[in-house]
Amino acid sequence: MKEMEKSPSRGKLPKWKEEELEEVEYEPRSIKDILIEMKNISELIVDLAYSSLLFDNKELAEEVKYLEARMDTLNYEIRLIAMMAARNKRDAERLTAILQIAEAAETISDAAGDIVDIISLKLDHPILPRLIRESDETIKKLVVSDKSKACNKSIAELRVASETGVRIITIRRGKKWIYAPKKDEKLRAGDIVVGVGPKEGLDKFNAFLEGKTEGL
Amino acid sequence: MSEEEAEKMLLDLKEKAELMVDLAYSSLIYNNKELAEEVYELEEHIDKLKDELQKLAIEDAKKGELNLNEALAIIKLATSTEMIADAARDIADVQLREIELHPILKESLLETDEIFLRVTISPNSILKNKKLGELHLASETGMWVIAIKRGDKWIYDPGKDVCLKENDVVFVKGNKEGKEHFLALAEGREKEL
Repeated sequence: MKEMEKSPSRGKLPKWKEEELEEVEYEPRSIKDILIEMKNISELIVDLAYSSLLFDNKELAEEVKYLEARMDTLNYEIRLIAMMAARNKRDAERLTAILQIAEAAETISDAAGDIVDIISLKLDHPILPRLIRESDETIKKLVVSDKSKACNKSIAELRVASETGVRIITIRRGKKWIYAPKKDEKLRAGDIVVGVGPKEGLDKFNAFLEGKTEGL
Repeated sequence: MSEEEAEKMLLDLKEKAELMVDLAYSSLIYNNKELAEEVYELEEHIDKLKDELQKLAIEDAKKGELNLNEALAIIKLATSTEMIADAARDIADVQLREIELHPILKESLLETDEIFLRVTISPNSILKNKKLGELHLASETGMWVIAIKRGDKWIYDPGKDVCLKENDVVFVKGNKEGKEHFLALAEGREKEL
């Protein structure tokens, strides 16, 4: 079975993958929680993968690799739990549909991983140079400094969208991702924020998160 | 293939792949076979685009217009996009099969922070005949338009100059909190942004 090759116990794993697996291996969770996370990752990772390629951004590519590794683990976990949960034929049938979705979500993240691998082909120029010039939006990975006035303030309080035009698509806090963060989500020191928006807006937001400016 | 043509096609792949993933999950959330069928149609379309794009990349490499790595990048990107499209089809397939959906499934899909809506712009809506650029939907409602279906035509990732028209089917994405406000605006119940 092809998909079993991806199970955590096999093969040589890159460093970031080992790191990721070690952290999450035996975390007892419900099928529901796992499926929610898998759906969220599969939606986010497509956007991140193409964006990292279009904007020739290696940092975003790295985030994609982390998410891909996370997805491998989740797919393995959900299969284990589903097998243990099936008590009869009806259960098994209904769980099959869930596993089909989980498998598809993992395929999506694998494809996204393949997309960011294209960056390592060392192209002389990004594939879509004209697109980047014409589009007024770009994507950037930002880090919240402990010196920033943004610490412990919510996205709504900071009025990020109205002051800078930047939309926060995800926040990574240690090993945890917050997808499409809500307006009342508070930023913390060390958070990695992926924002999409006009370049000037992103620069302004970045200066604020680095603690170089006092406000937006 | 001119640079411009390649760009257009690649961008088309990206937007359709993203839309398909959204549509596929939505078909399950809203128990909607019509959406699932749209995913199937898009998947066939992406298959064709992939074949075309890969042939063009090879031809251009042969002519020396693209170097090998550039052609390879395009071939790989087309392959990966098709893989995403196939996966989206597998998700939509669950909706089209005559099996009872597990209650956990719907619960999980509904419990995500980001939601996806499919709304028809009513003749009474204040969004009608306005450019997306002047509406500032993202900052006013927390929702943004990812695609518009106008008759048989699709507009993916519409720009600021695109005008919303009566009977447009708009696909929007965003925070849960923005849902009611956006629905009310599109259906013409709410007259202020």
